[in-house]
Amino acid sequence: MPAIKIESIDKIYDDPDEAGEVKALSDVNLDIEEGEFVCIVGPSGCGKSTLLEIVAGLLKESSGTVYIGDKKVTGPSREIGVVFQNAALFPWRSVRKNILFGLENTKVTKEEKEKRLDYYLDLMGLKGFENKYPAQLSGGMRQRAGIARTLIAEPKVILMDEPFSAVDHLTRCTLQEELINIRQKEKKTFFFVTHDINEAVYLADRVIVLTPRPGRILSEYRINVGFPRSRTDAALSRYAADIIADISRGKEASDEEYII
Amino acid sequence: MKVKEKKVDIVTILQILSVIALLAFMEYSVTSGKISKVFLASPSGIFKDLIKTVKEGILFEHLGITLKEVLLGYVIGGAVGVTVGLLWTLFKPLEKYMNVFCSAIMAVPKTAILPLLILWFGIGFKSKVFLIFLSSVFQILYNTVTGTKQCPNEYLKVARVFELNKIETVFKVLVPAALPSMFNGFRMAAATAMTTVVFAEMQSAKAGLGFLLAESQQLLNTPRIFLVIVIVTVISVLLVKLVALTEYTFTHRWIKK
Repeated sequence: MPAIKIESIDKIYDDPDEAGEVKALSDVNLDIEEGEFVCIVGPSGCGKSTLLEIVAGLLKESSGTVYIGDKKVTGPSREIGVVFQNAALFPWRSVRKNILFGLENTKVTKEEKEKRLDYYLDLMGLKGFENKYPAQLSGGMRQRAGIARTLIAEPKVILMDEPFSAVDHLTRCTLQEELINIRQKEKKTFFFVTHDINEAVYLADRVIVLTPRPGRILSEYRINVGFPRSRTDAALSRYAADIIADISRGKEASDEEYII
Repeated sequence: MKVKEKKVDIVTILQILSVIALLAFMEYSVTSGKISKVFLASPSGIFKDLIKTVKEGILFEHLGITLKEVLLGYVIGGAVGVTVGLLWTLFKPLEKYMNVFCSAIMAVPKTAILPLLILWFGIGFKSKVFLIFLSSVFQILYNTVTGTKQCPNEYLKVARVFELNKIETVFKVLVPAALPSMFNGFRMAAATAMTTVVFAEMQSAKAGLGFLLAESQQLLNTPRIFLVIVIVTVISVLLVKLVALTEYTFTHRWIKK
């Protein structure tokens, strides 16, 4: 059974500006296996974030179904972890309390909470920063805390919405390495949305390419390169080149549609 | 760097000298009789009146009444403003229904309602408390509502992902996010509270600093007028500072200044 099963998802937005409706996603079908790391790429406005929000239960699909394991997604739940673009930490909480927010209102005992907190502070390299407030942290540190808040809740799947797009290049590279390590340790299923194709081929087991709006699956690539990967790996570069070619082909195709 | 510091020092010295010159002018012109003591008061005369009013217990009596009126009206206004603001956030239809009425009452210059309040509650304590309540409640209400509306959408998504219910979302996410805006309302209300209460007491009252002011005017007791003006100003500044201090203790750790 796939960890995430996306079944013929359509999403239509009401758009008062464009007189009527805008189709954001069209017949998206995707199975993601347990423990798999899947990246969704596509031009901006292709609906990849919309797809993530539908899988997260934050947004209602217009038709189709999403399953997490054997359960239909009807709304957000603790089983579906979400890491947001700008970390979305609460500025009025310290790092420690932000991370523990992931366990608020759960039956987890106090000792267990402290134990997990300690583990994830260590894993994310946040030791010594637990009493700092988000405004005192760098973008990279903030995102580490955001990931820790998601991991501490021990969700079945982790959805990430362009989590590293707001940090500088060097920090992004470090965070990518760390994510690969976490993935090896935690053995979770990852659904990772990005517009950075090099990031996608570096991190993923499988890359899904979406067409411009309405987003449809254009192609998919299984990245057959073992970990640890090298950023300069020729095979990775070839995958990236193919994906970029696909995306520009997709754009042309959709432009033609508009002309007709 | 040093030159800059020196410049600031000269300005400060000039400012202090100006104040001293003004006080000296007041002292000389009044004591020498060049300006009638009906129009101006000498600093020494103001100070003498301070000692006198303190000794006779007049000052603290009136000061106490004014403070009670302001604080009671302000606290009730704050409590009602925040509560209604949060109820609006929880039940959107309530906001839809109440908003037009609240905006309408808010638009009325509060001091214009004073004659009515006096008919209803008399010229004493109650009418002043109610007036202060009216002048503060809407500012605090609308700033609370604005604050909750400005809460970033991502915070609300986080609340949904971790399955918070409506009440928890309000108290754990919306209220903290709205805190800076709420304090804005509290600060504005505090700044206008003294003006309002002094005006009301001058119109019709049996006691209070505004009453003392009106009485001093009728008795041509100019030093006392100056004295009350100074005291009212100090209280007004202290009230605003008190709100700012409360805000600071709540938010200074997480708001980057």
